[in-house]
Amino acid sequence: MSAVLNSGVGYRWLVLPTGDEPSRELVGGKAWSLWRMGSLGLRVPPAFVVTTEACAAYFAGGGLPEGLVEELAAGIRGLEAALNRTFGSGPRPLLVSVRSGAAVSMPGMMDTILDLGITDSVEEALAAETGDPAFAAEVHRRFAGFYGRLVLGCTEDLEDLPDTAAVRAAVNADTGSSVPADPWEQLHSAVAAVFASSRSRRAVAYRKHYGIPDDLGTAVTVQAMVFGNLDASSGTGVLFSRSPVTGEREPYGEYLEQGQGEDVVSGRVTPSPLSALASRSPQVHAELLRAAECLDREGRDAQDVEFTVQRGELFLLQSRPAKRTARAAVRIAVALVDEGSVPPSEAVRRVTAEQVRTLLRPVLASVDGAAVLATGTAASPGVASGIAVATPEEATAGTILVRRATSPDDVHGMIAAAAVVTEQGGATSHAAVVSRALDTPCVVGCGAGTVDALVGQLITVDAGSGTVYAGELPTTAASESGDDDLRRLCEWAEAEAPVRVVDPADLADPARGEGVSASGAGVPRETGAGATVEVPGPVFDADSVPPEELGEDLPTIPPGTRTVRGALFATSEGVKAALEAGVEVIVAGNRLPVLLAAIEHGDGARGVDRRGGDGARGVDRRGGDGARGVDRRGGDGARGVDRRGGDGGRGVDHRHDGGGR
Amino acid sequence: MLDPYQLTVHTLTLRQLGTASQLAEVTGQELADVEAGLEKAAADGAVVAAKDKYMISPAGRTLLDEVYPTAFGTFRSSPQIGEAMDAFETGVNKQVLALTTDWQTKEVGGERVPNDHGDADYDAAIVDKLARVHEKTARVLAPLSAEDPLVDRFLDRIGTALTRAEGGETDYVSGVRVDSVHTVWFQLHEHLLRLTGRERPE
Repeated sequence: MSAVLNSGVGYRWLVLPTGDEPSRELVGGKAWSLWRMGSLGLRVPPAFVVTTEACAAYFAGGGLPEGLVEELAAGIRGLEAALNRTFGSGPRPLLVSVRSGAAVSMPGMMDTILDLGITDSVEEALAAETGDPAFAAEVHRRFAGFYGRLVLGCTEDLEDLPDTAAVRAAVNADTGSSVPADPWEQLHSAVAAVFASSRSRRAVAYRKHYGIPDDLGTAVTVQAMVFGNLDASSGTGVLFSRSPVTGEREPYGEYLEQGQGEDVVSGRVTPSPLSALASRSPQVHAELLRAAECLDREGRDAQDVEFTVQRGELFLLQSRPAKRTARAAVRIAVALVDEGSVPPSEAVRRVTAEQVRTLLRPVLASVDGAAVLATGTAASPGVASGIAVATPEEATAGTILVRRATSPDDVHGMIAAAAVVTEQGGATSHAAVVSRALDTPCVVGCGAGTVDALVGQLITVDAGSGTVYAGELPTTAASESGDDDLRRLCEWAEAEAPVRVVDPADLADPARGEGVSASGAGVPRETGAGATVEVPGPVFDADSVPPEELGEDLPTIPPGTRTVRGALFATSEGVKAALEAGVEVIVAGNRLPVLLAAIEHGDGARGVDRRGGDGARGVDRRGGDGARGVDRRGGDGARGVDRRGGDGGRGVDHRHDGGGR
Repeated sequence: MLDPYQLTVHTLTLRQLGTASQLAEVTGQELADVEAGLEKAAADGAVVAAKDKYMISPAGRTLLDEVYPTAFGTFRSSPQIGEAMDAFETGVNKQVLALTTDWQTKEVGGERVPNDHGDADYDAAIVDKLARVHEKTARVLAPLSAEDPLVDRFLDRIGTALTRAEGGETDYVSGVRVDSVHTVWFQLHEHLLRLTGRERPE
């Protein structure tokens, strides 16, 4: 395959992502990671790249530059030869994906077009080859939608239309243009549309706002589609290199024999466990596990690998850092240190404050005998007790705000309250959205009469189950010191955080803030456990500011404050405010989330690359090599930071949706 | 339409406990006009001051309820605006709330959990969809923005929030203390409900 593609050297506008390392500025981040996967000995579907120089020439000349049409044809010939398929005709048709890829990417750039090259006759050929006319029709319908939306700018919702004819009609009605029947015209227009999208209104507005030069342009990657539904030795699936639920190093995956990504996406079929592949093709299964191992090691992180098996040949479509639960994130970060893959300083940047907050969130210890006063939809997790109040003006830290529904003039009360309950609305209601943004427990949709039933009572809101109980119920929570992984992360985070975080239990008299000297000199105190803490004054307590003086604003930390305390400083925005005010110590019960938030904010302020290199994803979304030195946040130097860039290889990205899921 | 004084009181239904400059930011009124309006409203008992912040009083709400039917008569009688509002409620408003929820939570291992914002692709796809809904909203609300320039101001502020979110300032999608997409959308929605005399439909 490589030999065939490499025979075409001497292109002016194309680069093949094989052989020597290509320049990211020339080919973009996604194509670079294609090259990277190939260089690791992993098989990816063949591809070629139209360079950013072609993009510049496109804008200089107002059209596809001279010679590009011929080179696109030559590039396609290379893909045809590599896979023994033909573009635009049967009996074994070649379809391709077309996608943008800039050295510095930006919003507004064109999404991926899949299945390009399909026409009425190609659909027939694909139906005959796969023996699945419904699949071929679905490919055609989807392509018409991609093309209509991305190239022709159709804004109608096309996804629910039943067939290609309906999509074409809707596109035509909305845009006045048609999806071309000629595959070469499809390709030329798609490449031009990718170029043009780098100067879309949104992309231009984004660059202007962040002071990014306007002439960087984009590359275009054209990649062959592979098929998992050709015969019984074909299939498609996904593999996680570690469990996304627990984080343990147990590969976990799903496989759909003789299936294509569309089948999984549409829900037409349910995939089997990966063991189905192991029993059908043990060699392919073993090769896949080796690949996942390699990608996990190379990416220095748990990977989510999408793959297709085409007639017994494994193709890797995409690998990227896997989604994971909060528990898994903690386990994986610590395991990576134990495996020697990342240093502790990086492990603490792999776990977010939000994830640790999730793990430490209290849950009800027991509800035995407690009367249920109301039930609704759990909208924002957590447990809180307090007196139910009916108006935002009455809301304080010790109250639960109960409303029919919330409107903007309730927001200050939602900020002040310990929890929010509503009569109306679902998981996407305004009350739910605002509560989640505030990390305030919230139960919505409890039904008419709830306000009258609850107001004035002491209640406990369990926003995990969506239940409101009478009285104050005991809670239990995981502790940082009781969990080995959390305890180690906490130690590592202390070394990295730009602020000290002290548990109020370690102060002599937490309620009164003793153990703190007003003069500024720390006064050591013995606590019950024998720990000695030294906390410098002046101390600012956010809980001492009345809610009506705050409204929706954060309290002002007085100049010269050295220690802060209060519920606000358990939140990331509170930590940010404390650091910006130059505070040295934050008093908080759960220390790890505060430490992690402080590290995150500190990195942002110093311009540290938090991802430690994210291969193509960093480059593609936020810049990277190409973005170095570009201040992406505009004039505020302290915030002018690219947190995603870098050039390592955490997660070699290679999105090729059509063949995968 | 509302006179500048009434508009200032009305703004406190969109942002309660705001300072004069925060209220001026919502409507685009001159700061001096807002300050003069608040001073008069405080004297009338329509608003209450808490340090530099203002709160609408029950008397202020009564005042608005009395002036709305006349001031917003056009909005409440036009069938075209009625249809636009129906489309707003059932279409783009639902989409924005669903996308905001997708931004805040995601499915991992079959469970809906808080979005840790560790997946740049996931986040980018949501902001991209929000941007498309934002563009569509301008078309849906065209009959209202033709009558009330404030509608376009809300849409412009949502556009600014989107640009900041696209630049990695993730607070600007659903953050409560900044003029995030959701904060401004929430204000826009409340303003539209008051314009058209409708109830919040959830």
